[in-house]
Amino acid sequence: MSFFELLAQTWPRLLHGLGITLESTLISLALAAILGLVFGMLSVSRATGARAVARVYVDIIRGTPIIVQAFFIYFGITSALNFRMDPMTAGIITLTLNAGAYLAEIFRGGIQAVDKGQMEAARSLGLPYGMAMRKVILPQAVRTMVPAIVNQFIITLKDSSILSVIGLTELTQVGSLIIADNLESFKVWLIVGIMYFIIIMILSTISKKIEKRLKVNA
Amino acid sequence: MPKIEVKNLEKSFGDLQVLKDINLEVEEGEVVCVIGPSGSGKSTMLRCLNGLETPTSGSIVIDGHHISDPNVDIDMARRNIGMVFQQFNLFPFMTVKRNVTFAPVTLKMMSQEEADKKAEHLLDRVGMLDKADAYPKQLSGGQQQRVAIARALEMNPDIMLFDEPTSALDPEMVGEVLNVMEHLASEGMTMVVVTHEMGFAKHVADRVIFIDEGVVVEEGTPEQVFDHPQNERTQNFLNMVLQ
Ligand SMILES: Nc1ncnc2c1ncn2[C@@H]1O[C@H](COP(=O)(O)OP(=O)(O)O)[C@@H](O)[C@H]1O
Ligand SMILES: [Mg+2]
Repeated sequence: MSFFELLAQTWPRLLHGLGITLESTLISLALAAILGLVFGMLSVSRATGARAVARVYVDIIRGTPIIVQAFFIYFGITSALNFRMDPMTAGIITLTLNAGAYLAEIFRGGIQAVDKGQMEAARSLGLPYGMAMRKVILPQAVRTMVPAIVNQFIITLKDSSILSVIGLTELTQVGSLIIADNLESFKVWLIVGIMYFIIIMILSTISKKIEKRLKVNA
Repeated sequence: MPKIEVKNLEKSFGDLQVLKDINLEVEEGEVVCVIGPSGSGKSTMLRCLNGLETPTSGSIVIDGHHISDPNVDIDMARRNIGMVFQQFNLFPFMTVKRNVTFAPVTLKMMSQEEADKKAEHLLDRVGMLDKADAYPKQLSGGQQQRVAIARALEMNPDIMLFDEPTSALDPEMVGEVLNVMEHLASEGMTMVVVTHEMGFAKHVADRVIFIDEGVVVEEGTPEQVFDHPQNERTQNFLNMVLQ
């Protein structure tokens, strides 16, 4: 079978796999952004207890492979609590918890990189802490965080391929299934690789545009 | 009743005691200059006055607000206490005008129109109206500091705190900022000014306080402190900075 015949024949399944990859990644990233913001806030808080909670979460995620996290959530938790979870749900939970921890670190770093005189100036004008954080600190922090956030998006997109191990039919899993049918390992992995590559190139390009825009307005 | 009343204020950072039994009263309309060597606790004392530092012990009452009371609504108290920092601390992503109007509008104390009108008046007063649409990084240090003063005044404070407002400036810009402050003093603003500008202290202050190693060593009118210092530490300090 020629490369293009193969492509034409498997394209619908590949596209479907890519759809699942994007869906699980995007939902997870949206949730992870919230989680990351919450834990990022805890980690810059003055309360030692809050900082400790954030530290433990980040350390656990950073200290374990994502594949173990996926197994633990999909097999471990469901068997301990005796219920079933579909691979999509388990996959989204895994990616969310994972990316959430890394985003929390990015938020912490970004917030701490803002001159502390900014918070003092805002507070001295009578702004409550939360309002000063939202209206003065975060707008400055986010500018410096954009490259790191986009980088985390790319990592999470790539990490979603690991969810094939719990049976989620995302792009990588679809590739495996196609090869099981036709044994065209070289061509199929080449196609799958190119598909990931194109998506990530698009993301990087968008990110560079945003960075440029922010630099102009800084 | 004094505008500012500080009693037995102590402040430690860990094992380091920075302020020792500070007592201070400032009357309405009074201008008090705080002088002293670097590291003597001047900034810490000033920052205790608006709650940026929490005292280890002692009491601070400003305009009836018990700043040192843990249950005080510190945000409400701060609306009445303007602060000007050595490093200006303007918000870099806002225009000059937005810097000035930001707090009262965000806190819903004024409508945007009211705030704009007041900001224009204040910027005009500090000679910065023509830069209203500029961003802080396009301004010189002296210009930024004048905007910072306007930003603090926009809140209509009764009291202004200045922490070495001219120390980060090139020498040729010191005068323009001191002029604005002197004008403010002449209008009756209650001011506490930490400064190394002895000329300003001599000329504008009603009272001068010399702090060394966290202790108020000497206090009096500018004539008393500068011309007839009683304490040897004051004499040494003045000899050092005035020569
Ligand atoms: N947040 C802090 N943590 C620990 N030590 C501090 C802190 N702020 C100030 N200090 C220390 O307190 C002392 C007084 O500092 P400061 O009030 O800034 O002095 P001044 O303004 O007179 O130069 C210095 O020894 C300084 O290092
Ligand atoms: Mg100081």
